[in-house]
Amino acid sequence: MSARAPAPLLGAALAVLRKDLLAEWRTRIAVNALFLFAFAVLVLVGYAVGPTRLAPEDRPTVNAVLLWIVIFFSAMTGLARVFVKEEEGGTAAALRLAAPPAAVLLGKYLVNIVLLFAVTAFIVPLFLVLTSFEIACPALFAVLLVLGCLGLAGASTFTAALVSKAAAKGALFAVLSIPLLLPPLIAAVSGTQVAAREADFSAGVDFVRVLVAYDGVVTTAAFALFDAVWRE
Amino acid sequence: MRLVVDGLTRSYGARRIFGPLSFEVRGGTVLGVSGSNGSGKTTLLKTLSGLIRPSAGSTKILLEGEEGAGSGPRDVPWCIGWVAPDLALYGELTAEENLDFFERVRGRASSRAKDLLAGVGLPESSYSKKSLSSLSTGQRQRVKLAYATLHDPAVLFLDEPSSNLDADGVEVVARVVASQRSRGIAIIASNDPRDLALADETLSL
Repeated sequence: MSARAPAPLLGAALAVLRKDLLAEWRTRIAVNALFLFAFAVLVLVGYAVGPTRLAPEDRPTVNAVLLWIVIFFSAMTGLARVFVKEEEGGTAAALRLAAPPAAVLLGKYLVNIVLLFAVTAFIVPLFLVLTSFEIACPALFAVLLVLGCLGLAGASTFTAALVSKAAAKGALFAVLSIPLLLPPLIAAVSGTQVAAREADFSAGVDFVRVLVAYDGVVTTAAFALFDAVWRE
Repeated sequence: MRLVVDGLTRSYGARRIFGPLSFEVRGGTVLGVSGSNGSGKTTLLKTLSGLIRPSAGSTKILLEGEEGAGSGPRDVPWCIGWVAPDLALYGELTAEENLDFFERVRGRASSRAKDLLAGVGLPESSYSKKSLSSLSTGQRQRVKLAYATLHDPAVLFLDEPSSNLDADGVEVVARVVASQRSRGIAIIASNDPRDLALADETLSL
């Protein structure tokens, strides 16, 4: 028996992504939780602050906050499952022995990105219609959505790994995630308010920079720390 | 190849589970680990395999042709096979999809899943288009044996391998252990005389 090199990172990560999406497609537990929560909140928001209930000058401020609240709490509802189900289902040991830790993290991060992008693609058009939320700079809005979701997915994935072995997973996930996710949420909300008011992309470029920096720091920290978190 | 254990100890707080243990297992050897319930057999196997960290001491795996200090089990997880009652595979996937997944994460392109499943007594008709969770406990134990040997591990850890298996399944375990003997080391933790009969040496805890 001779030594073998560990599997290539990207190939192993894509295998984790494929496996999780296949399992999710067959059970639809996280998808149902994410989409049902998002739909219920959208209906409530549409009813409470529909197009006629807000003064036009208040819409960018209030709607930007509400939009990101819907995205944030939808993320909190379903994204912790990527690691929690491995521990609760007893499959974590098999995965630990088979896959390089970085590939597990990258694969789970990609799963959460797919889920969050899917639910955001569901939320945003409905939200814009239900609240008559007009965006002056769609390009800035789109960039903020992508970067905001990447940040939410990255921080949620790492936090999910941290709490997956704890007894009170749900409470701990919320306690750890909320302070960790406040900086990108504030930047995303502020940037969205600018995107609703200003047609010029450069007006919101500072918020884009904050989100790029946050995503970079969170991703780097997650990969640096994950090995210790996953194996202990 | 060799597995070298030096002063290995595992404690939970002030309670010592086992150790300090020092021993060496050479390639081609099957080591049995016996002991009463709660004596630390499973904890020893998890520590040897790197799934949990020892409180003191070390385990080194020296692969064929490798000189020097050797590698800890956490440094060479692709050399380790693991079967245990609390190990689970993915219930939403079929047996074949499970094995395909574990091959892909190890960077292998060609699938040996069907051959390995046939080798543990599972013809394709018994698992095709069925999720793993819908198979019987004994069938799932056979799939676990296939999972553990999928990557030709140098060291195979078997915790109560014959549990939930019928007489034919116990023979499958014997075949898996015989095959492992030619490839490296097998360590079996059990109190079942059928499992311990496969061992060349026995360590009592």
